[in-house]
Amino acid sequence: MEILQYALRKLLAGLPLILGVTLVSFALMVYFGPDMTYQLLGKNPTPEQILEVRQQLGYDQPFLQRYLVFLGEIVTFDFGVASTGEPVATLLAKTIPVSLILILPGFILGHVVGLLLALAAAYWRGSWPDKLIMAVAVIGMSVSFLIVIIGFQIVLSSSDGLDLFPVRGWNASSLGNYLSYVTVPTLATMFVALGYDTRFYRSVIVEEMTRDHVRTSRAFGLPESRILLRNILKNCLIPFITRVMFSIPQVAIGGALLIESYFGIPGIGKATYEAIVTGDQPVLKAVVSLTAILFVLVVVLNDILYRVVDPRVTLK
Amino acid sequence: MTKDLSQPVLKVRDLTVEFATEDGVIRAVDSVSFDVQPNETLGLVGESGCGKTVTGLAMLRLIPMPPGRIASGSIELDGRDLVPLPDRDLEDLRGRALSMIFQEPMTALNPVFTIGNQMTDVLCRHRDLTRRQARPVAAELLAKVGIPEPANRLDDYPHQLSGGMRQRVMIAMALSCNPRLLIADEPTTALDVTTQAQVLEQFRALQAEFRMAVILVTHDLGVVAETCQRALVMYCGSIVESGATAELFSRPRHPYTAGLLASIPRLRSERLPELPVIPGRVPDLLNLPAGCRFADRCPRVQERCRAERPVLTGRDSGVACHYPL
Ligand SMILES: Nc1ncnc2c1ncn2[C@@H]1O[C@H](COP(=O)(O)OP(=O)(O)OP(=O)(O)O)[C@@H](O)[C@H]1O
Ligand code: SF4
Ligand SMILES: [Mg+2]
Repeated sequence: MEILQYALRKLLAGLPLILGVTLVSFALMVYFGPDMTYQLLGKNPTPEQILEVRQQLGYDQPFLQRYLVFLGEIVTFDFGVASTGEPVATLLAKTIPVSLILILPGFILGHVVGLLLALAAAYWRGSWPDKLIMAVAVIGMSVSFLIVIIGFQIVLSSSDGLDLFPVRGWNASSLGNYLSYVTVPTLATMFVALGYDTRFYRSVIVEEMTRDHVRTSRAFGLPESRILLRNILKNCLIPFITRVMFSIPQVAIGGALLIESYFGIPGIGKATYEAIVTGDQPVLKAVVSLTAILFVLVVVLNDILYRVVDPRVTLK
Repeated sequence: MTKDLSQPVLKVRDLTVEFATEDGVIRAVDSVSFDVQPNETLGLVGESGCGKTVTGLAMLRLIPMPPGRIASGSIELDGRDLVPLPDRDLEDLRGRALSMIFQEPMTALNPVFTIGNQMTDVLCRHRDLTRRQARPVAAELLAKVGIPEPANRLDDYPHQLSGGMRQRVMIAMALSCNPRLLIADEPTTALDVTTQAQVLEQFRALQAEFRMAVILVTHDLGVVAETCQRALVMYCGSIVESGATAELFSRPRHPYTAGLLASIPRLRSERLPELPVIPGRVPDLLNLPAGCRFADRCPRVQERCRAERPVLTGRDSGVACHYPL
C-alpha cells in the first residue's frame, strides 16, 4: 500500500512537469510552427479576410489564453478536426494501436536479446565470446538505419533475395498477416538498437562486477553464474530500467516516424510526418502534447520502479 | 576428517603476487612464506600499501585477475595446494574451510538483498539446509556476534545497519560454516573506537569458541599484542620480521619493527588511527631499490644494505636485515 501512495504522490508531483513541458512545446508551436492563415485563404486576401481567419483560428487571442484553451483540449482529449476533416481523436485512436503493435516486438526483443548477449559477454569477459559479441555490436552501431532497412528488404523481401515478406505496407487482419508485415520492421529496429543496448548492458554489468559485494559473494563460495544472474543483475536494475524507460519516448517518436513512413504503415509516426509536411496544426498539437505527457509518465514510472527494485530509495 | 593438531593448517611458500599496471608490473607480494598453526592467531602488520590485503586475498585466490595474478608459490591448506586447484573445488572451500572478513564493512555486503537472504545463501551453499531451516541458524549466529533482536535484523537491508553491525554480520557469515582458517582483514579499522573494542572482544571470544586459526591483518600493534600469539611484519611486499608476539615486542630485531614500536603511545588503551609514523617514504613498488627496501629510512643503514638484499633468516622466527638490533 505504501508503494501505491508513493506512486500517487509521484504522479501528482508530475503535474507541474506536464504543465511546464506543454507550455514550452506550445510556445515553440506558436512562435515557430506553421501559420495556417494563408493556407486557408485564397490568393490576394483582403485585410478583413485575414483578420477573420485569424479570429477563427484564435490567433488574435493573448498567448496565455491560447495556452489555456490548449490545456482544455488536452484535458478533454478534444484536439479539434484534422485538415482531412477527420476528428483528431479518431485519427489517434486509429493510428496509435498500429504503432504499438508495430514497435513493441522490436523494442522488447531488442532489449531482451541485448541483455542476453551482454550477460554472455560479461561472463566470458576478455575471452573470445566477449570479443566476438562486442565486435558485432560495433559493426551494428556503425551501420545507418536506412541501410539496415534496405538491406533487410533486399535480403528478405525482394524477388532477388528470399522473397519471404511483403516489401511495404501493413495488414494486421490476422495473426499470419500481422507476422508477415511486422517481421522486417522488427528485425530492422532490433538490429539498430542491439549494438548500443548490448554495449550499454555489458558496461553496467562489468562495472558492477568490480564491486566489493561481488568479491564477498565469491569469498563465500557462491558459484559465478549465480553471482552474475542474481547478485549482480539485481544491482544493475536501476540503470537498466532508466535505459529502457527513457528509450520509450525516443522509439515512440523517432523510430515510429522513420519506420512507418518508410514502410508505408498507417501509424501515428506516419500521421505525424504527414502533419508536419502539410502543417496540420491540430494533429501536431495533439502529438506534441501526448509526447509531453508520455515523457512525464516515463519519468514518474521510472521513479516508482526505482523504489520497487532498490530498498535504499526511500518512500519520501 | 580429523585434523592433525601438530601440522600447520596453512603453509604458504614463496608466494608472489603481481599486478600488471599501466606503468609496468608491480610485485605486491614478494616471496612470502609462513605457517599458520591450528587455533593460533597470527598477526600481519605493516604500513598501508605493504601488501597485507593482497596476501589475505591470495589465500582464497580472490586477487582480481586481470590485472593481478599469483606469479609463483604455493598455499597449502591442510596439505592441499590451493594455487593449482580447479575453480569448482576452490569454490567449495571458500566460506567453508576458509573464510574472510573484509576491511570495508560499508560496501562488503550486497545492498539490494536482506541480511537474512545473504546469510542463508552461504548456509545453504555449504551446509545441508533448506532456506527455511537456515533462517533460525542465521539468527542464532547473529545473536552470537552480539546483534540485538537478531530475528528482526534478518529482514533488514545493509544500509539500515551501522558499520559496526555490518561488520558483525560479516563475522557471523564468516563463522557460519565453522572455518578452519579465518582471514580477518582489519576487521575493526573502519569502526569508531568504542565499537572497535566491542567487536574485538567479541571476536576473541568467538575464536576461542570456534577453535579456528586466524590471520589477523591490522596496523594496530596494540591489537596484535592483545590478540596474536605470533606476528609477521610486512614491508613493501615482503616479510621483514616474524616471531612470537611477546618476543617481537620486547626485543624487536628489525629496525623497522623497532621504529613501529618506538612510536606506540605508552597508554595501552589509546588506539591508533594510523600506524605510527616512521620518517621517510615507502619506496615506489615500480622502482624498488636493489638492496634493502628499508634502506632510505633506516637509522642503521650501511653500504652493504644498498647493494645486497637481506633475506629472512627463519620462517617462524626470523629477521631480514644485515645488521639487526
Ligand atoms: N587491483 C589492483 N591493481 C593494481 N595494484 C593493486 C591492486 N590491488 C592492490 N594493488 C597494489 O598492491 C599493493 C598492496 O596493496 P594492499 O591492498 O595489499 O595493501 P595493504 O597492506 O592492505 O594496505 P592498507 O593498510 O591500506 O589496507 C599496493 O601497492 C597496491 O597499489
Ligand atoms: S638491512 Fe640495512 S638498511 Fe635494511 S633494515 Fe637492516 S640495517 Fe637497515
Ligand atoms: Mg588492506
